[in-house]
Amino acid sequence: MTWFFVRRLLGLVFTLWVVFTVSLLLMLAVPGGPYSAERNLPPELEANFKHRYRSDLPWYQQYMFELKRDLTGDLGISTRMQDYTVNQVIAQGLPISASLGIFALFFAIVLGLSAGIVSALYRGSFADFTLMSLATVGIAIPSFVVAGLAIMLFVFVIPIFPAAGWGTLRQLILPSLCLGLAYAAEIARITRTGMLDALSQDYVRTARAKGLSELMVALRHALPTAMLPVVSYLGPAVAGILTGSVVIEKIFAIPGLGWHFVQAALVRDFTLAMGLVLLYTVLLYTMNFIVDLSYGILDPRVELK
Amino acid sequence: MFGRTSFLVAMFIAGLAAVAWAVYGSHLEPADFSFTNETEVQTVDPAMATGQPEMRIIQSLFEGLGRQSPTDTRFKAGAAEKWEISDDGRVYTFHLRKNAKWSNDEPVTAHDFAYSLRRLLDPQTYSRYAYEGWYLVNGKKYTLSSQLEPGDPVEVELNLAPGVPSTRRGEVLLGKLVRKTPVETKSSESAKTDDEPPKYIFDVELDGKMRRFKAADATDSVPDGVERCRQVLLDFREVGVKVIDDYTLELRLTNPTPYFLDLLAYYPMSPVNKTCVEKYGSPAWTQPQNIVTNGPFRMVARRIRDRVRLVRSDTYWDRENVKLNIVDALSVEDRTTAFNLYSTGMVDWQTVPPSEVLRELLKEKPPRNDLNPAPQLCTYYFLLNTTRPPLNDKRVRQALSMAIDRDEITRVATGAGEIPAYSLIPPSVPGYHKQECKPFDPEAARKLLAEAGFPEGQGFPRIEILYNTDQAHQAIAELVRKQWQNNLGITASLRNEEWTSYQNSIQQLDFTVARRSWVGDYQDPNTFSDMFVTGGENNNTGFASPEYDKLIVDAAKEPDRAKRMELLEKSERLLMDEQPIIPVYFYVSKNMVRPWVRGFYNTLQDTHPVQDIWIDHSVKKDDPHPNEYMEPMK
Repeated sequence: MTWFFVRRLLGLVFTLWVVFTVSLLLMLAVPGGPYSAERNLPPELEANFKHRYRSDLPWYQQYMFELKRDLTGDLGISTRMQDYTVNQVIAQGLPISASLGIFALFFAIVLGLSAGIVSALYRGSFADFTLMSLATVGIAIPSFVVAGLAIMLFVFVIPIFPAAGWGTLRQLILPSLCLGLAYAAEIARITRTGMLDALSQDYVRTARAKGLSELMVALRHALPTAMLPVVSYLGPAVAGILTGSVVIEKIFAIPGLGWHFVQAALVRDFTLAMGLVLLYTVLLYTMNFIVDLSYGILDPRVELK
Repeated sequence: MFGRTSFLVAMFIAGLAAVAWAVYGSHLEPADFSFTNETEVQTVDPAMATGQPEMRIIQSLFEGLGRQSPTDTRFKAGAAEKWEISDDGRVYTFHLRKNAKWSNDEPVTAHDFAYSLRRLLDPQTYSRYAYEGWYLVNGKKYTLSSQLEPGDPVEVELNLAPGVPSTRRGEVLLGKLVRKTPVETKSSESAKTDDEPPKYIFDVELDGKMRRFKAADATDSVPDGVERCRQVLLDFREVGVKVIDDYTLELRLTNPTPYFLDLLAYYPMSPVNKTCVEKYGSPAWTQPQNIVTNGPFRMVARRIRDRVRLVRSDTYWDRENVKLNIVDALSVEDRTTAFNLYSTGMVDWQTVPPSEVLRELLKEKPPRNDLNPAPQLCTYYFLLNTTRPPLNDKRVRQALSMAIDRDEITRVATGAGEIPAYSLIPPSVPGYHKQECKPFDPEAARKLLAEAGFPEGQGFPRIEILYNTDQAHQAIAELVRKQWQNNLGITASLRNEEWTSYQNSIQQLDFTVARRSWVGDYQDPNTFSDMFVTGGENNNTGFASPEYDKLIVDAAKEPDRAKRMELLEKSERLLMDEQPIIPVYFYVSKNMVRPWVRGFYNTLQDTHPVQDIWIDHSVKKDDPHPNEYMEPMK
């Protein structure tokens, strides 16, 4: 078990280094830089700006500089939002994206699991057909359409939610529903498949033979095994959902991190983009690690080495 | 069952925590006035900022010698209560009001302005607006040390001790420049630095002793006998900024500049508080808990991509005339979201509604009482790369221009009442007669193209129209492609690039035809004309005409206003004949402002100082003539 932890930790360090290297080199390869702006500067001033962002140095020196600074935990000053350090941007945005994400996950898991279980238990019925059709639609429709429809319906036609913003419970509900819907649909489908698979296993037949009620069999014996694929799906999904969604954050004007992921690259905010990539890597890696751990808990046949 | 139960409990706790966190901090008092301020402001440092969202905040926080009038954006008394201009228009003397205070209770003095102007010009500040200070005598030479000549008095700024905020200055030694020698830059490996200006070693005479300096960090290597320093600049006493006494400031200009006062009212010229800037360093000094300001509002809270909260300053000298107590500037990137917020009553002013919505709103009957598009000092045009055949032929450039039907573009693609443009300089610049290029005339265009050797467009290479990724630009480019195809028989293709790459392509002249727009910084033709001088940073067409350059220089030196305008008119005449650019349309402003908002006027520069805005509760929602905004522009 200890060896498992150590190996994973070393793996994380190595992964971070690879991600850092590849991302930074890609960033340095694209045209323009943080010094680019609508109004061009006289060459001497432009050179001065390049010097400020070290864009005048050969790539390996820039690489070493960024690596050394990031290793100390200081991710630098955002080149675009010049009043903030990258650490500050993350400290402000991550909790917001995360709380929106957790809320959305909550919806997704409750909705998805219930739908999946019902579908599996009443396989082939009208309920199964309806739920799975809805799930397919949920996966297929992009979130900006869902958000647009939700705003039209719940902000303008039946005005029960505010149009956008952050800070009150009412402002939280609509965006997290829109964000969670696609995940709910995915979870429903995976749960259904997992349940159907588990219900046909020998140990479930044994449980039935013992005279347990069908509900007991489903929830106590089939569900933990059926959860395995759901948990594998949730690991990376959680990392994604916690760091925010560009679309939802833009449409609902939510001050989370998601928007920065795209914007930092577009405006060549090297420091912020690198900081976010590293953050995402750590989160993704950690979530996958937790997924592996939970396998051991959910399925006694899995042993961690 | 450990896994399932604990999982459910964990989820439940996480859910609760998420709600608690989300709702935490919502105890903000509601604002008296809130508006959507487009994108997150890059910075509130006046010297560093560029752009409208930044301006709306900065002019609420800081006040320059003058400030922008809400009715026409011209200079209005600010920190200075009186001023005199010498007869030759080159010396400005400002008398500061004695009751102006910083938010830390320090008085606002002439020293603050001298400090802030020096800071604006200092290359270590990295201001994009440093050139606003270049109207001052020797201002440009102070920023660009490559222009230093032997014999110039100089200041050598030594490197800062480690750990000292970079906003402070190192020890400054005053001396005389004896010689400057370019040094080889060893960064030849990076290909980007081809056109990099040389770095210098400066030989400076200090107290009768000769010393050699090179701008270098402690880690950089320097040749033997050369000392490291932060920078070598012109002695600031040579620059046209003079503190006569605590409340009197004299500014000397190189040329009589009729729009200089208006520049002083523009936000980059705002003063900053030295105590605050030097104490906290950058970027910490701009944080709400640290920042010291002298304007009508204080910044009390700021959350990234959420809002900047402004509260009326109780140290501002004219606080009695600031009517709003709490103002929220919301960062809302998406125009549709901003419109949703406006139409559900959550904001009082939306700067730009989405164009597809705008079109519908303008059709409403009776006309809306909160929307009144007005001409703006901004031109949309195409750059033509005059270094690329066949666009190096003037006849081809003219033909391309004459084959564009601007009326169709403003009718079909833009739709907010934009004005078809045949000149670079927008109409309604006071005292100026715009000079137009030839009108839409497909017949004549075909003839010109035939003369240039491409009858019916035969043999004309496929040309590419570059634009930055945006639906509106794409729609216009599509129309132009269609018009060129129909009217000239030539084929064009479209190329879109995201903003930074597009900028880069324009700068490298890596395009044939490219869209561009330019907003005037001040209400004078020069803000447009001086772009197209030979080698100008924003020329971006390869256009080079000694005659044009001379007209621009002569106009700058000309003290007589009428003659100066004539020279500028001649320059535009030349530009429109040579046609390195094709004007397409003039922008209109598109604010949506609630009927009870008063003190908000349509202006040429689309600026609306928040400090003059107030709420009139007596105005009814459907009053057809509710406020100043709905009146025709003066």
